[in-house]
Amino acid sequence: MVVVKLKAFEEIVSKLKGFRKIFILGCELGSGRCKNGGLKEALELSERLKGLGFNVVGVKSPGGTCILERIDGRERSLLKEAKTKGSEVIVSLACGAGTQLIAENVDVPVITGVTTLFIGAEREGRIFNEYCIACGDCIISDTGGICPVARCPKSLVNGPCGGAIEGQCEVDKEIPCIWYKIAERMKKLGAFKSLCESAPFKDYRKSVYPRRLILEEKS
Amino acid sequence: MTFGEKLKAGKFLITAEVAPPRGTEWKDVVRGIEPLKGKVDAFNVTDCQRSMVRMSPLAMSKLLLDSGFDPILQLTCRDRNRIALQADLLGAAALGIRNICLMTGDFTTLGDQKDAKPVFDLDSVQLIETATRLTEGYLLNGKELKGAPRFCIGAVFNPFAGPFELQVMKLEKKIKAGALFVQTQPIYDARIAEEVNDLVCELGAVPIIGLLPIKSLKMANFMKKLNPTSVPDSLIEGLERSENPAKYGWDYTIDLAHAIAEFGKGIHFMLVGKTEELASFIDYLKNHKKYNHKF
Ligand code: SF4
Ligand code: SF4
Repeated sequence: MVVVKLKAFEEIVSKLKGFRKIFILGCELGSGRCKNGGLKEALELSERLKGLGFNVVGVKSPGGTCILERIDGRERSLLKEAKTKGSEVIVSLACGAGTQLIAENVDVPVITGVTTLFIGAEREGRIFNEYCIACGDCIISDTGGICPVARCPKSLVNGPCGGAIEGQCEVDKEIPCIWYKIAERMKKLGAFKSLCESAPFKDYRKSVYPRRLILEEKS
Repeated sequence: MTFGEKLKAGKFLITAEVAPPRGTEWKDVVRGIEPLKGKVDAFNVTDCQRSMVRMSPLAMSKLLLDSGFDPILQLTCRDRNRIALQADLLGAAALGIRNICLMTGDFTTLGDQKDAKPVFDLDSVQLIETATRLTEGYLLNGKELKGAPRFCIGAVFNPFAGPFELQVMKLEKKIKAGALFVQTQPIYDARIAEEVNDLVCELGAVPIIGLLPIKSLKMANFMKKLNPTSVPDSLIEGLERSENPAKYGWDYTIDLAHAIAEFGKGIHFMLVGKTEELASFIDYLKNHKKYNHKF
C-alpha cells in the first residue's frame, strides 16, 4: 500500500490563506488505512478548520481517490459536488497520485494535506515499513522474497556491505541489515547456495519515471 | 619493483593510507608521508572516506604519482554511476595509475554532506567486474575501447561484519570478478589475522591485513563501537593499565605486524602520523634475517 503522512495543521492552514470555502477529500485506500488521511482524519481536519473560521462545504473519502471513477463517476461525482457547493479550494488527503488526479479534473486550486512516503507493508495496524521502491525490475524471487533493493539503503544485490555489524544496518542502527534476514530465509529454504551467483547489473531504464502501464484490449 | 610487480612476485607487501586534503593544499599531505618513500610499497588514496567531502582521490593519486609514490586509487559506488566510474577508471589509467581498490563505500548520511543523493548504481562486485571488463578492452555496454587500461585490482573485506557466510560469499564474488589483492579492516588479534590470511589465500587473492594503532582508550572504544568484536578485551585492559596508552597501542600493533610478517603476505597501515616510527619499523623488518627473504 501507499503510505502517507499528514502534514502539520499549521502548514495546511498556511496554504489556505485567502480561501474561505473548503472541500476536503480523503482516501480510504492508502491514507485511510494508515490513519493519516481517511474519513476520520478528514473530519478532524474539518473541525479544526471550522474552529479557525473556515467554511467547510463538504468532507468525503472515497475508496481510492487515485481512481478517476471513484471521484468522478457517472452515478456520483465528488468533483461535481465540490463545484456545486462553491468550493474555492480542495484539500486532498490522498496520496500524491490521487491529489494530482483531482487537480487534473477541477478548476479550483488543490492543496495537499499529506506527504506521500512509500510503498509499504502494515503490521499491527500501526507499523508501516517500506518494502518496495517500485524499481521496475523485481528480483525478489532470487532473494527469498525479501527485497534488498528497497530494504538495504544502498540497494546492494550481491550481499551485505562491510558495515553490517551484528545484524544492524550501518546507516541506521534502528533498522536491521536486511541481508541477515535474506541469509536466514535462504537457509531455511535450503537455497543458500544460489546466493553465490553474481547478481546481474540492475537495468535503471526500468525505473525512469514517469512510467506507465497500458492494459491490452481483450479480444 | 612496483606494488603490482611485487604482488605478482609474491613479495611481502606494505601499504598505507593517505586521505586527500579538505581543500587544495596537497603538498603537506605529500610531505607528511615523505619518510615512507621507498619503504611503503603503495598508498591507498581514500575516496571521501566516511562520506566526508575531500579532494578527488583521482587527482590526489596523480599528485602522489608525480611526487614519486605508487598510489592505490580507491573508488566507491557512493557518488558515481556506471558512466562516471568507467570514465574515472579510464582517466586513472591514462594518468598512469595502475592500482585500484574498489568498494561499496560508506552511506552518505554518515558523513558531512548528509543531504547528498546516494548513488550506488553498482555494488562493489559489479564495480570490480566493470574494471576487469575495461582491462579486456571493452566498456560495460560492449563497445570496444581505443586503448585498454591495465589495472592491479583490489577489494576490501571486513572480517567482523556479518552475516559471515554472506561476507565470505561476497568476497569470493569479488575475487572471481578480478580482485587480485584484498585489504582488510583493522584487525587486533593474530589468530583472526591468520584466519583471514588463509581465507583470502584460499579464495585466490593476496591478503593485506589492516592495522590501525590505537592511540588512546577513547579511540579503542570508538573502534569497538564501529566493530564490537574487533577489539579484544585484553587490548582494552592493557590500555587501561598502561601509563602511556599511545605507546602501548603502537607496540601492540608492531607485535601484530611481526606475527603477520611471519605467516602473512602483507600489511596495510591505516594510520595518520607516526611516519618516522613506521619507517624505522619497516627498515627493521626488511633487514631482519627472519623476514628479509620475504621482501
Ligand atoms: S526488487 Fe524492485 S520491484 Fe521487487 S520488491 Fe524490490 S523494489 Fe519492488
Ligand atoms: S548494513 Fe546491510 S542493509 Fe545496511 S547498507 Fe549495508 S548491506 Fe545494506
